[in-house]
Amino acid sequence: MRGDREAFAMLFEHFAPRIKTFMQRSGADERSADELAQETLLAVWSKAKLFDPKSAGAAAWIFTIARNLRIDGLRRRKRTPTQDTAEVDLEFQVDEGPQPDAALAASELETRVRSALSVLPEDQLRVIELSFFEEKAHAEIAEKLRIPLGTVKSRLRLAMNRLRGLLGDLS
Amino acid sequence: MTIHHHPPDELLTAFAAGTLDLGQHIAVATHLLTCPHCRSMVRAMEQIGGTVLTRLPPAEMSPGALAAVEARVGGRAPDDAAIPARHFTGFRDIPGLPSFVRRYPDSSWKWIAPKVHMRPIGLPEPGATRVFLLRSKPGTKMIDHTHTGFEMTCVLSGSFAHEGGHFGPGDFDLGDGSVDHDVRIDSTEDCICLVAMQGDLKLHGVIGRLLQPLIRM
Repeated sequence: MRGDREAFAMLFEHFAPRIKTFMQRSGADERSADELAQETLLAVWSKAKLFDPKSAGAAAWIFTIARNLRIDGLRRRKRTPTQDTAEVDLEFQVDEGPQPDAALAASELETRVRSALSVLPEDQLRVIELSFFEEKAHAEIAEKLRIPLGTVKSRLRLAMNRLRGLLGDLS
Repeated sequence: MTIHHHPPDELLTAFAAGTLDLGQHIAVATHLLTCPHCRSMVRAMEQIGGTVLTRLPPAEMSPGALAAVEARVGGRAPDDAAIPARHFTGFRDIPGLPSFVRRYPDSSWKWIAPKVHMRPIGLPEPGATRVFLLRSKPGTKMIDHTHTGFEMTCVLSGSFAHEGGHFGPGDFDLGDGSVDHDVRIDSTEDCICLVAMQGDLKLHGVIGRLLQPLIRM
């Protein structure tokens, strides 16, 4: 158990401050962002049975937990909190149920995506990043990066096509 | 099932990023249920989400944040509190809906135009996007119409065609402010679609103007 605690502390030190940035960039104020980062790590701890937080795909898994808590947080501000995060988790379960090879396919997918990302040019990754998290319209991204709108679109297109190419024979 | 029409990449990215509103999310989720290819794209975008997360500059956590979380770890209930199955009983006669949609309030089919019925899906939160099922008889021709907002359509059964192609089960159609001409149901069975719509429909032509007051969509 002691080892678990130490591993968790390391995970917390790495991810919590970045999740806080993610929440703030998504529009949360400083205090809510701090709370949501804590909630995310708490969820990581209690779900660790389902996924090894030290494995290579952990960042994506932690991202989905943060994402769902962010959505849940936004809803709580808008309506009476009669529901829990399980509801948002459910909304992202769109598989018909695990296929026999699903687990294998998923890990194969992760490996391929990671290797694709590692060779994706920085400028393409940056455009994806902005369109991804900051809900920026393409025009705003162009302004922020000081590049023409057409360049934003073509970089996104290139990155997406590369991904599609890599995923093509998996599905 | 062969799927020919997919949501654009931007929509799949927004789905993975969690930035769609619930109505849009439902339309994309309905497509994902039948489309392993787009599911892979979403998984890939979630991987990118993880990568981007680790690249973000760290913010300073409040003092004692780690200790506060560690203190709560012990007292936390296991996270597998499943929602009871009896809550997933809506839309029994409609195959192809994501299971979470079956928790929302169901209602009966309402006549909206000759050979066309609609059935609202009650969302738990009021949002800009309304979601409903649309059932059209074989041979129905839709009146030319303009969307004032976007409209996402996912075919559940039957099929239709318009100038953009032929749409069968699983296919996803995105309409965005332009005029749809010549939408016609070309299956021998009823065509049932899930539609997520922002804004209103504006009908064209003499019949359209006559029907407009009757159609509240």
